[in-house]
Amino acid sequence: MAKNNKKLFIFFTIIYLQACITISPDWLKINGITPCWPVILLLPFSLKNSRLKSAAASIFLGIFVDSFTIGDVSYVPSLFLLSLAWSTYGLHNKKIDLFLNIGLMAIFGTAFVGLSIWFQKIIFYSVLRNNWFHSWSIYILISEVIVTGLVAPIFSSWLLFAYKKN
Amino acid sequence: MVKARMKIGFHLLFKSRFWSIFLFLALLFGIRWTKGAGYLDLYSILIKPILPGTAQKEWIKEGENIERSIRLQLLEKDNTRLRKALSLKEYNGKKRISAAVISRSSRNWWRQLEVNKGSKDGVLKGQTVIGPGGLIGLVDSSTPLTARVRLLTDPGHQLGAWIARTKRHGILTGMGTNRPKLIFLNKNSLAKIGDAVTTSPASTLLPPNLTIGIVQFVNEKALPSPYAIVQLTASPDAIDWVQILNNNGKK
Repeated sequence: MAKNNKKLFIFFTIIYLQACITISPDWLKINGITPCWPVILLLPFSLKNSRLKSAAASIFLGIFVDSFTIGDVSYVPSLFLLSLAWSTYGLHNKKIDLFLNIGLMAIFGTAFVGLSIWFQKIIFYSVLRNNWFHSWSIYILISEVIVTGLVAPIFSSWLLFAYKKN
Repeated sequence: MVKARMKIGFHLLFKSRFWSIFLFLALLFGIRWTKGAGYLDLYSILIKPILPGTAQKEWIKEGENIERSIRLQLLEKDNTRLRKALSLKEYNGKKRISAAVISRSSRNWWRQLEVNKGSKDGVLKGQTVIGPGGLIGLVDSSTPLTARVRLLTDPGHQLGAWIARTKRHGILTGMGTNRPKLIFLNKNSLAKIGDAVTTSPASTLLPPNLTIGIVQFVNEKALPSPYAIVQLTASPDAIDWVQILNNNGKK
């Protein structure tokens, strides 16, 4: 059972996530911003698995996504913390497969990931410290949260059911 | 009786010059009201056959283009000769690799492009990428078959630029928006709205005199140094093909 979970996760990470990031279809964008795919994939896996497995998966996923981006800013810290939180919630809550519940968790998760990237950018690039309230960051954050909130209830729920069936 | 009188009245009215005077006045008023528009239109229609036609216009344009291209060639030759005399790096615009954009992330947290040419075709890290309109970014990394381009608009991306009119240098910094910021190195930038921003002619890292954009806003009072907001002439959102300057165009 666990092996199937792992296989499904690895398959989706290596094939699907990569395709989503590279192709980034226009019909899945809001103002040119794509959904936060790592959150959509990590959420169901973390809800179903233990903390240790979720943490390992988040690091793996973070490193994988980082390889498709430029610069020193990383997804790993935010995904790691999210995986711990979601796996803890998932272990104690039996009603995790609720449609809206998943969407809401994805929304908060995306906002957390976005804020983490924003702060990391401010730390790494001294030029951005001149003006802390960046309009572009808020624009990306809001758009990403909205589009992830729309995609996650469909995709993450389906993936969670798939994990449960396995 | 009344009917008969009315009949006579109308008869006299129609027979008199009333209508001709009325029409004349109406015409006059119309001409005054339209400011002679009818006359002007008629005039333009009448003189149309005498005016130089489109063919003549095209000949003039063609002649101008030929003159410009000859002048450009002469200036380029002159520029190369002078750069040699000053022992500056030479720029060869012919050493270009055309590449198609295969993935675009020009509005996300990272502003980057993926192109379909890599190290196999001679694309290496740090090479300059230009699109229709001018400079769009630098190659960040390359694989054998693809290359990742970091756009000028990427937050924190910095490169040297200058304004040719004022001969003042600055650091062009990506701010995450479509308009990067040119932070000047001098206290007085002397920049004005509409100034062209290019790469420095003395640059050793980038090809000289590449168009970057146009100054849209200047803040002379900013601390610690004045800055200008630059509108890029090449739009990464709409570009499907780019050109990578092999060895940054150096001979």
